[in-house]
Amino acid sequence: MTDTDRILRASLGRRDVLKYGGIAAVLAACRRAEESGGGGGGATSATGDAVVHPPIGEEPGGLQVFDWSGYGDGSFYPKEEKQFLWQAYQRSTGDTPEFILFENDDAGYTEVAAGSRYDVVHPCGYKYRDWVDLGVMQPWDTSLVSNFSALNPNLMESGVVDGQQYFIPLDWGFIAPLVNTDHVDFDEESFGILFDDRYAGKISWVDTSNMMYIGGMFLGVADPFDMTDEELAEVRDFLVSKKHLVSFFWNQSYDFWLAFKREEVWIGYAWPDTVGYADARGMNYRYMEPKEGRVSWVCGMGLFADTQNYHHAHEYVNSWASTEAAEFLLGYYYYGHTNTEADLSVVSPGVVQALGLDDPTVLDPPRSIPESYIPRRDVYQQYWSEVQAA
Amino acid sequence: MATLEATTSASAKETRRRERRGTAGLLSAPLVWLLLFFVVPVAFIAAYSVGAVSLFPTDSGVISLEDWGRFLGGGSVYMGLFWKSIRMSFTVSIVVVLLAYPIGYFLALCAPKRKYVLLLLIIAPFLTSFLLRVLAWKVILGETGVLNSFLSWAHLRDPGDPITWLLYSQVAVMIVLAYVWVPFVALPIFVSLDNLDPSLLEAAGDLGASRWRTFVRVTLPLSLPGVLAAFLFVFIPTIGEFVTPTLVGGTSGYMYGNAIQDLFTRGLDWQTGSVLALFLLLVVAGLMALFGRFVQVRSVAA
Repeated sequence: MTDTDRILRASLGRRDVLKYGGIAAVLAACRRAEESGGGGGGATSATGDAVVHPPIGEEPGGLQVFDWSGYGDGSFYPKEEKQFLWQAYQRSTGDTPEFILFENDDAGYTEVAAGSRYDVVHPCGYKYRDWVDLGVMQPWDTSLVSNFSALNPNLMESGVVDGQQYFIPLDWGFIAPLVNTDHVDFDEESFGILFDDRYAGKISWVDTSNMMYIGGMFLGVADPFDMTDEELAEVRDFLVSKKHLVSFFWNQSYDFWLAFKREEVWIGYAWPDTVGYADARGMNYRYMEPKEGRVSWVCGMGLFADTQNYHHAHEYVNSWASTEAAEFLLGYYYYGHTNTEADLSVVSPGVVQALGLDDPTVLDPPRSIPESYIPRRDVYQQYWSEVQAA
Repeated sequence: MATLEATTSASAKETRRRERRGTAGLLSAPLVWLLLFFVVPVAFIAAYSVGAVSLFPTDSGVISLEDWGRFLGGGSVYMGLFWKSIRMSFTVSIVVVLLAYPIGYFLALCAPKRKYVLLLLIIAPFLTSFLLRVLAWKVILGETGVLNSFLSWAHLRDPGDPITWLLYSQVAVMIVLAYVWVPFVALPIFVSLDNLDPSLLEAAGDLGASRWRTFVRVTLPLSLPGVLAAFLFVFIPTIGEFVTPTLVGGTSGYMYGNAIQDLFTRGLDWQTGSVLALFLLLVVAGLMALFGRFVQVRSVAA
C-alpha cells in the first residue's frame, strides 16, 4: 500500500505515530527557536595592532555598532534614524554600519564580558568604569572628531576614566515619575508617587535593578548608588511590600508609553521619550521634578581596543556628535544631546519646559542626581531578583 | 552439505556485522550532535554551578556547593518560585488536557472522512509568529481590550470599571499558555484514539453498553497512555516557560524560567542561574524516568 492509500483508508501504525510525532516535534522546535530569538552578534576576530592605525582607506569597513534599538538600526524611524544619525558617516566613508542590538546596558555588558567584540558600543555613564575594567576599550583620539569642540565640556568630563576620554557622551535624559494629571493628584513631587497606595494597579516600574536606588533615594539613604547590605534589605522589603500596586514592569520604554497612552497606567518610572509622546498627543501630564532630584543619565560611545576600523569609528562618532543628530534626538525621542549648538526650535515648548532643555542648570544637583557608578551592582541585582521573585 | 551450511552461516554473520556497522554509522551522527550540543553544555552548566568554571570577575572561582546549599536549603526565594511554577504548569496542563481531549476524540472517532484536513486546520495557527499570537492576547485581555469593551458595551460592567486581573497576572499567563498548547496536546490524544480498534467499540455496543459506558469503560482506559503522554508533553515545557510571563505576566506572573533568564542576562550571577537550570533539568529527567516506568511508548499507538 502506498502512503496515500493508507491515509485514505485511515489506518495508522507505529510509523505514522512517529511521523506525526516528528511533525509535532519540528513545530515545537520551531516555536522554541523563535522564542529564543536572535542571540548575540558576531564578534570581530581582530588581533589588530593597537598602536599603529592604518589609514582609513586600508580599513575593512563594515563598522559594527553595538547599540540600543532605535539609534540607527531603524527600529523606530527607519528613514530618519539613518538620515540624521549616520548618513553623514556613510557619505564621508562610503561604509554602511552594521547594528547589533542589546536590550539594555546590563545585557550588553554581559555579552561583551562573555566574549563578544564589536567596533563601537553605546553604554551609559554609570557603567563606564565597568567597561573600562573589562580591559576591552581604548580611549578616543578627540582630535580626529571634528564636532568634539561643539560638545558640552562638563558632560565630556563624565566620559573621562583614568584620565583618558574612553567615552564620548552624546545623549542624555532623565529618570523621573511621569504622571497623568487627569487622574492623579499629588501634594508634593516625589518618587513616592511610584509607591502610592491610592493608585493600585495604575503604576509601572522599570524592570531593572535601578528600582533599588530609586527606592533608596525615596527612603533617604546616604548614598543610593552605594548602599550597605542593611539598606539594600530595607529597600528590598519596601519594594516587595509595594509590588502589588504595580501593574507591570517595563523593559521597553515604548511598552510603558502604550499603556500610558491607553490610560491603563497613570504613573510610571519614565524616560523623556514618553514625555514627548504624551506632549505630542496632547495629554495632561507632569514630568515631575521630585524633591529627591531627578536622576539624569548620560550615554556615550566607546571604542573597542581591538577594532580594525579605528578611523571609521571616529567618523561614526563624529556623525553622531553633529547638530543633525542632536536635532533628531531632540525632535523624535525628546532626549537631550551634548552638542551645544543644536537648534531647540525643533522641540515643542511643552517638552522644552518639561525637560528643561533650555536651562543649563537642569543637570546640576540637587535638581538632578547623575546616575552614578554602582560598585556593587551585582549585589543590587541579587536583591532586585528577590523583589521580582517574591 | 557442510560447506553449504558453513557458507550460509558465514554469510549470515557477515550480514549481521554489516547491519551492526550500518546501525552504528546511522547512529553516530545524531550521537555526536547530542554529545556536542546537549551533553557538553549541560556538563558545562553543572561545572559552573559548583564553581569549577568561572567567566566573570564577580564569580567566586572556588569549587563549593554553597550555591546548591543556598537554593535547596530553606527559605530560598527561588525555591518558592519553583513551586509556584509547578503549580501554574500543573493547572495549565490539566486544563489543556481537558480541552484537548474532546478535540482529539472528535477528530479520531467522529469525523473519519475529514480528520486530516481538520488536523491541519488546528495546526495552521502555528504558521504565524508565536510572539504575535501572545501579543494578540494582550489586545483581547487588556483593560481597554476586546473582552472589557464587550462587557461595557453589553452593560454588564461599568465602562470605568474594567476587569483588571485578566492581563498582567498569573491568570493571563495560564490562559495564553493553555491557548498555545492545546493543539500540541490534541495530537498524541488523537493518535492514541485513532489507533483504537473500532471492533472493541462495536463489541461494547453489542454487549449492551450505552455510549457513555463505552466511553468510560473502553475508550478512556485505552487512551490513558496517550493522555498521560500529552499531560507530560505540556507540563514539562511550561515549567521553564519565560516568554509568556514576560509579555503578559506583569509582576505576579513571574516564573522560574524568568528567574533563570534574569540571572544569566542581567545579574551576571551565572552560578545561581546554573544551579536553577540544572535543578529543573534533574526534575524533568526524574519525571521522564517515572513516566517511562509506567507507560510503554508502544502502548500509545497500540
